[in-house]
Amino acid sequence: MESDKLLILGIYDNPDKTYTATKKLIAGGYEIFDVYSPFAIHGLDRVMGIKRTRLSIAAFVFAMTGLSLALIFMIYTSYFDWQINVGGKPSLHIPTYIPITFELGILFTAIGMVTCFFIVNRMFWGKNADIMDIRVTDDLFVVAVDVKKSKADIGMLNQMLIDNGAIEVRERIKEV
Amino acid sequence: MEHEEVHIREEKYLITEGNKKWAFGLMIIGLILAAIGYFTYHPHIEGLSEHDLHHLSLKRLLSNILVNGYFFFIISVCAAVFIAISQIANAGWYVAIRRIPEAMSEYTVPGGIIVIVLTLFGLSTLYHWAHEGIMTKGSANYDALLAGKSWYLNKPFYFIRMVLFIGFWIFCAFMIRKYSRNEDEVGGLVNFKKTYALSAAFVVIFAFTFSMYSWDQIMSIDAHWYSTIFSVYNFATGWVSALTIIYLFTWYLRGKGYLNIVTDEHQHDLGKFMFAFSVFWTYMWVAQFLLIWYANIPEEVAYYKERLFGSYQFYFYFVVLVNFCIPFFLFMSRDNKRNRKVGFFVGAAMLVGHWLDVYLMVIPGTMNLATDPTDAHPAGIIKVASQGFGLMEIGFVCLFAGLFIWVTLKALTKANLYPTKHPYIKESALHDVGI
Repeated sequence: MESDKLLILGIYDNPDKTYTATKKLIAGGYEIFDVYSPFAIHGLDRVMGIKRTRLSIAAFVFAMTGLSLALIFMIYTSYFDWQINVGGKPSLHIPTYIPITFELGILFTAIGMVTCFFIVNRMFWGKNADIMDIRVTDDLFVVAVDVKKSKADIGMLNQMLIDNGAIEVRERIKEV
Repeated sequence: MEHEEVHIREEKYLITEGNKKWAFGLMIIGLILAAIGYFTYHPHIEGLSEHDLHHLSLKRLLSNILVNGYFFFIISVCAAVFIAISQIANAGWYVAIRRIPEAMSEYTVPGGIIVIVLTLFGLSTLYHWAHEGIMTKGSANYDALLAGKSWYLNKPFYFIRMVLFIGFWIFCAFMIRKYSRNEDEVGGLVNFKKTYALSAAFVVIFAFTFSMYSWDQIMSIDAHWYSTIFSVYNFATGWVSALTIIYLFTWYLRGKGYLNIVTDEHQHDLGKFMFAFSVFWTYMWVAQFLLIWYANIPEEVAYYKERLFGSYQFYFYFVVLVNFCIPFFLFMSRDNKRNRKVGFFVGAAMLVGHWLDVYLMVIPGTMNLATDPTDAHPAGIIKVASQGFGLMEIGFVCLFAGLFIWVTLKALTKANLYPTKHPYIKESALHDVGI
């Protein structure tokens, strides 16, 4: 067994137990690989010390890209390249460009953020999701501990998970 | 969740000497400045008689009361709507700050009375359609277009609508406050359920009545002109200003050491609301402006011509800059919404901007003089250029702001600073927007 990819999964049936178990494991110096839950547990992200997402910065960059590309395109086509006289209105007038600029900004942001999200999470079409335990999609919670990074003694870790209310403890090899 | 403790405290706001000084100081200084402004205002415009110019200063006085009366009144109504919407959405997070909009909604009483009294006395001065003879066939200043609207725009119907709508809103705000204060004593779900039913009715009826109210109060100033998105646009103005004031009051009370269960999380959510509805306001503003500007139909474009190219040009661009750019770029980041100093700056800027927006809806339309229709003035209106920003404007803002602050602070003393027995109070105390 490749021990550097070994995870110990503590399976819980209660969000509060999951929360306290995570807190205690981190206090005990264990390295949490991830916690899986069918719904959001408030405060868990802070306990796990997850860093703030940079997706919002990416979104801003994509939005600005979309806005400037839309503006450049419209100014080029309707003013520099080929002016069309529509009811005597000026060819270069920013208010006319607002709707399309706005829409393209949103389009770029949406597509860019989804793409970004997929790349960061190493997801692509046809890939099977690496689900720790199928029951986490229903009503159970999983705390996955990275054995190698924690430098943990598996026996003690098992005991600790069970002491904190795990209904089951399993081993698993992580795919990523 | 059981792993965190919540300390629910029964605390009441105590009005300090500073509050009194500020509120009454603003009111007194405002009154003095407005009086000085009114008596020293002697317009000189070529070709207008002494009598017309006297009329103009009265118009300026009443228009200023209308701008401020309307602005602060819709804020207080929107504060009640904020509670109602949160209630029917079953929101939990807002409960800890709920007493602030409740207190603001108490201003509906003086605010509503001011607006009704103003229209009672100022109707024929401020509103072109209400002038003598406009709708009687054969009179010198007969206007066929306005006469066609007389089934809706006539004085009795106007006052009936005014009193009914404002009375209904005052009643709903009063009942929401009453249930909420009663809850502090008896607890349980009785008042929660009653508020739920009332809020559902209030929000639906408010949507219709506010539309008509904004047409009556503001859009009928330019009675020849109309915009179908006007009421949504006005609602956005009132709503985002109400959110801003709630946000500022929350910071203020927390700074004083009150509201122990309110954290940066609540502040952050209010900030998100402000950000989102600033964009919403801009959307409405652009939707109204762009279609009229692009279609370029003379009767519609007249409204924007005097604002966009006339003497109000500076205000016009300033409003967009302040109401869109400042919140959009400064409030986009998460840290800024949680920062007291940035929050105060953005909030203050937005209030100035939205006040100026209302100013821009009212003043260019009311600061005109009626005349008999001639070739030079086919609509029977002599346009008067912007009279600038004088003591009267500043004075009335101070007066109304002082009154608003005083009524709100006074209302805060009447109940606990947060509803201690609300079913969602614990959820609100543990509110967390995540990382």
